[in-house]
Amino acid sequence: MSRFGLFQIDQFKFAVSLQLIKKILQNSKSYNLPRLPRAISAVLVDAGQLIPLLNLQQMIGRETQQEHLTQSYQVLVESEYGTVALPADLTGRIVDEQKGERSTIVEQEVNLGGVGSFIYQNEDYSILDINFLAIEMTQVFWQNQPDTGGARRHQ
Amino acid sequence: MIVDGSKKLIFRLGGTGFLLELGDVVEVVERIAGMLDSSRSDIGRGIVSALQFRQTWIPVVDPALKLNIFSVVKLKDKKAVILRGSEGNWALLVDQVGELSAAENFHSCEIPFLLKVSAMGFYSQVKLLYNEPMIVFEPERYYGSTAVSI
Repeated sequence: MSRFGLFQIDQFKFAVSLQLIKKILQNSKSYNLPRLPRAISAVLVDAGQLIPLLNLQQMIGRETQQEHLTQSYQVLVESEYGTVALPADLTGRIVDEQKGERSTIVEQEVNLGGVGSFIYQNEDYSILDINFLAIEMTQVFWQNQPDTGGARRHQ
Repeated sequence: MIVDGSKKLIFRLGGTGFLLELGDVVEVVERIAGMLDSSRSDIGRGIVSALQFRQTWIPVVDPALKLNIFSVVKLKDKKAVILRGSEGNWALLVDQVGELSAAENFHSCEIPFLLKVSAMGFYSQVKLLYNEPMIVFEPERYYGSTAVSI
């Protein structure tokens, strides 16, 4: 049975397959390292490993709030490129896929690293493609965008 | 001077921790105000000033520029870590100099694949000190004939 973790950061609602979720931390201490890609807010340390914290706020064109680095969940997710952390407000939940409805992908979701939507209790959660997000957000294209509010997938 | 090679010097820049091999360190100058001559800069080589040290002038390198670190500490309040290099002594500007820490307190930590490209050219090793990431400072990246300007 497939299940999703449902989370929210600011007004952006997102879903991650439970199979990919390694751990959920709360109020984990974050650290800045120099020359981080713009799409990385900070790094976390978990089990002796550095975990990049993706800046989802940048992806949706919002400023990173300091409280989101310190007063929130950090969802540790496995990607092909190693574990990454996603920030989330303290409102996550895990639901069976059968309790919601999957909808078809729309262009905006592709731009935001989504692979479709999961609708649960009339709320629309973008199903994130973690591999896409990890590599697109941290590598050359996204790093070089001076206007972070306009961060979008390269066309 | 007897150098204990098993210890590392901790310093901080803009809140980020760094560790330095004690064997590279000549001295730490806590007060540099009045000992600087900023007219002797060579920004292309990363030299922001000159520091009077032991009756001579030595180059001062601010690694925050290369690392793109924002520091709230004013120049006059910074500390200088004097390092020996192939071209003589030089000074490294830092915000704070911390304690010495034994090598066994540091645990190796791999830089994640997703961060390797951005770290390349600036640092290649990170170690954990009580679960806090510390960048292994590599002096040759910042001053000397092998340093590369950014």
